[in-house]
Amino acid sequence: FTISLMMGTTITISSNHWIMAWTGLEINTLAILPMISKSHHPRAIEAATKYFLVQAAASTLVLFSSMTNAWHTGQWDITQLTHPVSCSILTAAISMKLGLVPFHFWFPEVLQGSSMITGLLLSTAMKFPPITLLFMTSQSLNTTLLSIMAILSAALGGWMGLNQTQIRKIMAFSSISHLGWMAIILVYNPKLMLLNFYLYTVMTATVFLAFNSIKVLKLSTLMTAWAKTPSLTAMLLLALLSLAGLPPLTGFLPKWLIIQELTKQDMIVAAM
Amino acid sequence: MSILHLSFYSAFTLSSLGLAFHRTHLISALLCLESMMLSMYVALAMWPIQTHTSSSTILPILMLAFSACEAGTGLALLVASTRTHGSDHLHNFNLLQC
Repeated sequence: FTISLMMGTTITISSNHWIMAWTGLEINTLAILPMISKSHHPRAIEAATKYFLVQAAASTLVLFSSMTNAWHTGQWDITQLTHPVSCSILTAAISMKLGLVPFHFWFPEVLQGSSMITGLLLSTAMKFPPITLLFMTSQSLNTTLLSIMAILSAALGGWMGLNQTQIRKIMAFSSISHLGWMAIILVYNPKLMLLNFYLYTVMTATVFLAFNSIKVLKLSTLMTAWAKTPSLTAMLLLALLSLAGLPPLTGFLPKWLIIQELTKQDMIVAAM
Repeated sequence: MSILHLSFYSAFTLSSLGLAFHRTHLISALLCLESMMLSMYVALAMWPIQTHTSSSTILPILMLAFSACEAGTGLALLVASTRTHGSDHLHNFNLLQC
C-alpha cells in the first residue's frame, strides 16, 4: 500500500493535465483507506468511512471545477485556470482535502481513529499532493476565500486544541493551524509555503515517531514517559516547542518569514 | 450556456447537495457520490463529441474505472461499518467525539 501511496503522490505532483491530478488524488485516497481501517476496531472503521466520504467528495469537486474550466476555456492545463467560478470551487475542494476551516470537522476524528504511523502518513504524505496543486495554481486561486479560511484555520486550530487529552487530536489541531499559516502565504510567495510545509513535515514526523516509540496515547501517559526513556522525552520536548514556533528553534523560521512577507504586502491585520 | 451544460451543472449540484445533507443512512451518501460520478462521466463523454477531438475519448473510460473502484471501496466500508456498528445509521458514528 505504501507503493500505491507513493505512486499516487508522484502522479499528482508530476501532472499538468487535470485528469492526471485527479487520478493521483484518487489513488492516494484508495491506498490509504485500508491502512486506516487495518485494525478492525470500530473507531478505525468509522474514521475510515468519514475520511473516505470527505476525500471522495473533494476529489469529485476538483474534477467538476476542472471540467467547468475546460468547457469555458477549452483546455485542461493546470496552470491556466481562468474561470472564476471554477477557481472558487477548486479552492473549496482543495481546502476540503487539506482540512482547512470550515472543512476541518473530519480531521481530528480521523486522526484519532487511526494508528500513530497511519496518522503520520495522513498528516504529512497525504497533504503533499493538494499542497502541490495549490502551488501550481497559486496565481489563479480565489484570494479572498483562501485568506478567510486560512486565518480562521490558524485561529481555530489553536483554540480547539486547548481542552484535548488525546494526543492525536492535539496533533490534528496543530496540523490545521499550520496549514492555515501555509495557506495565507500562498498567494504572495508560494516558495515560502513550500518551505513551511517541508519544515512542518519534518517536525511532525519527529513528534509522531517519538510518540509511537514510547506508545503514548493520552496526555497522562505523556507525563510519566520520562521514566522510561529520558533522552527521547527530552528530544520530544524540543521538537514540540519547535513545532509551536518559539524563537530559538527551527519552527520559528517560517513564521518569521511569513510575517515579513505579509507586512511587505500591507496585510498587517492578517499578520496578527 | 447550452441546455446540455445546464443539465450537467444542475445534476452535479443536486447530487452534491444530496451528499452534504444526507440524514439517516450512509448508503444514501454513497448513492449521491455515485450520481456525482455519473454526471461527470456524461460530461466527460460529451467533450470529445463537441470539440471533435477523438484523442480524449479515453478520458471517460478512465474516469469510470476510478469511480467504480471508489464505489467498491465505499461499499466495502459500508459492510465493515455495519459489521462493527450494527447498522448504517449515521447517529451511531459517535465513537470519536472530542
